[in-house]
Amino acid sequence: MNESQHLSSQFDEDLSRLRTHVLQMGGLVETQVSAAIEAYATGEIASVKTIVETDRKVNELEKAIDDDCAHIIAKRQPTASDLRLVLGISKIVTDLERAGDEAKKIAKGVRRIYEGGHLPGQYGVGVRHLAEAALAMIRQALDAFARLDTPQAANVIRADTDVDVEFKSIIRQLITHMMEDPRTITTSIDIISIARAIERIGDHAKNVSEQVVYIVEGRDIRHTKEKVQ
Amino acid sequence: MSSQVIRALLLALLSSLIALPVGSFVAHWAGWSVFCAGLALQMIFHFRNFARLDRWSHRPVVDASLEGEGAWDGIFGRLYRHEKDLRAGIADRDNQIERLFAALQALTDGVVALDLNQQIVYCNSTAEEQLGLALTTDRGQPVVNLVRQPEFVAYLEGGDFERPLTLRSDRGTDRVLSIHVVPYAGDRRLLQIKDVTQTVRLDRMRRDFVANVSHELRTPLTVLAGFLETLQEIDLDRADQHRYLDLMAEQSKRMESIVQDLLTLSSIESAPPPSVDIVDMSSLVDKLRRDAEALSGGRHNIVAEADAQCDVRGSEPELVSAFGNLVANAVRYTPAGGTVRITWKAMAQGAEFAVEDTGIGIEAKHIPRLTERFYRVDRGRSRDAGGTGLGLAIVKHSLNRHQAQLEIRSTLGVGSRFAAKFPAGRVARVQ
Repeated sequence: MNESQHLSSQFDEDLSRLRTHVLQMGGLVETQVSAAIEAYATGEIASVKTIVETDRKVNELEKAIDDDCAHIIAKRQPTASDLRLVLGISKIVTDLERAGDEAKKIAKGVRRIYEGGHLPGQYGVGVRHLAEAALAMIRQALDAFARLDTPQAANVIRADTDVDVEFKSIIRQLITHMMEDPRTITTSIDIISIARAIERIGDHAKNVSEQVVYIVEGRDIRHTKEKVQ
Repeated sequence: MSSQVIRALLLALLSSLIALPVGSFVAHWAGWSVFCAGLALQMIFHFRNFARLDRWSHRPVVDASLEGEGAWDGIFGRLYRHEKDLRAGIADRDNQIERLFAALQALTDGVVALDLNQQIVYCNSTAEEQLGLALTTDRGQPVVNLVRQPEFVAYLEGGDFERPLTLRSDRGTDRVLSIHVVPYAGDRRLLQIKDVTQTVRLDRMRRDFVANVSHELRTPLTVLAGFLETLQEIDLDRADQHRYLDLMAEQSKRMESIVQDLLTLSSIESAPPPSVDIVDMSSLVDKLRRDAEALSGGRHNIVAEADAQCDVRGSEPELVSAFGNLVANAVRYTPAGGTVRITWKAMAQGAEFAVEDTGIGIEAKHIPRLTERFYRVDRGRSRDAGGTGLGLAIVKHSLNRHQAQLEIRSTLGVGSRFAAKFPAGRVARVQ
């Protein structure tokens, strides 16, 4: 968006590289989330170890990008939309890192369930559907950031409501299930923690989208009922 | 050019020739003013043309021809022609480029051209769909900003493009893409993207087939070997011996039917195209109904309707086996009291043989794989029902050889409909 203002300048290149780094971190988080969901669906707990190890890489990326942000602010003293971009990015990486943590939580929950010899059973489908929705949200949020596309970001923010509703209905189902058959409580609690983690991933995707709106329009729409167009 | 100079000088000389007598006979100043007026007239003439050229050069148009006066006309004409040629050349090149892009657009493979900074320069619509890009908004965007999968980023940065990268598409669809990087115009890169979902699926089918054949044959073999060992080592009384031998016979029959089905399948695959003899469908449907009634043992309601107006051209034994298979499946998977409906009727294009049941139905996700060899929706159940796992594979092959399509529709718990649609070329109308 700043291409016209400082064409081919070093500063512009720095910003562009920063964005690409953020999106690369996002790509890693997307892969983590989808791998965790895959593990849940297939019960292949071998991948859990990889997910836990890769999470360290996500953490490192967060620190590196935060460092870059600090450097750019100190050295270049960006203003207006450039400043918003840098500030927005430093918030986006926090959300991405947390989404990565949630993916790790899902993976660990999956290991607990399958190692305990249980199967997610009939709730497998509901949770998987929830997970697909959350994964789509994070993908769209990152696409919106790459393209600085506010309508897309607005879609993600709206989609979060659906994910929340679906999450609540899964919880209700599980509660009924636990009351009917107390032997399923252990597994159900693990499934609840997985569903919770997925729902949080949706929230993080929403936060990323809010930052995209802030970067492009300069409006802070967090914690408000303000409509996004 | 020199003629222009001579002309200008001659005009100056002419005005001085007029000015000289005026100057000497009337007055000095009058002579000078006549001379100046001559020059001024020439200047005005040039300025007018100059202004015209100036106007035109701001917005060169070729629809109205550019006309000058006197010496200017030649210059204007040349400029005008030059502009016109240039425009024609550009239009021609535009056309060529457009055709080139249309050719890229027509490729069934995805193509993405990147510049030196890995930014998207161009991509065709196949690539847009495969990678979730949109050229109008994503031109100039680094490709790794949008295709963010770490494997892809590592592949692009790794610089080793000997082998293509196999990537599972993450855009909601369960597709497998094979991405190949080809350098072009120096260090620029072109991504060539093939959809290899089908190839990967075929590979899996082949692997599954070998594994399944071994598994299917080993299971009865293990049972046989176990009983044999028992019989060899333990002295059993006659009744037990009989029971064991019966079980062994059952297992060996199972193996035999699997091998028989495999042989049928391979003979169908290698056989010459089926004949075009007319098969009497009315009597065939009648025979199918009787077979179904025998298999059902009165537990189902069997309905058969055959359109006497048309018959099939093809190999009777193959069709009997294919249709018989569909009917037997319908009877097997329909609980007692259900209905199995066998129909044969002419359609607008060709004809259709269908078996409809009110059975247990099949989940939608299994339907595309149903005709794979040894594919089973529910392993235990179909083996109990006496299937070898090859029936539908044989049906599909036999029908394909008759250019017929097998169409499967099913709703879980409601019933299924298996229809073989024959093209007009395979249908014989009865006069």
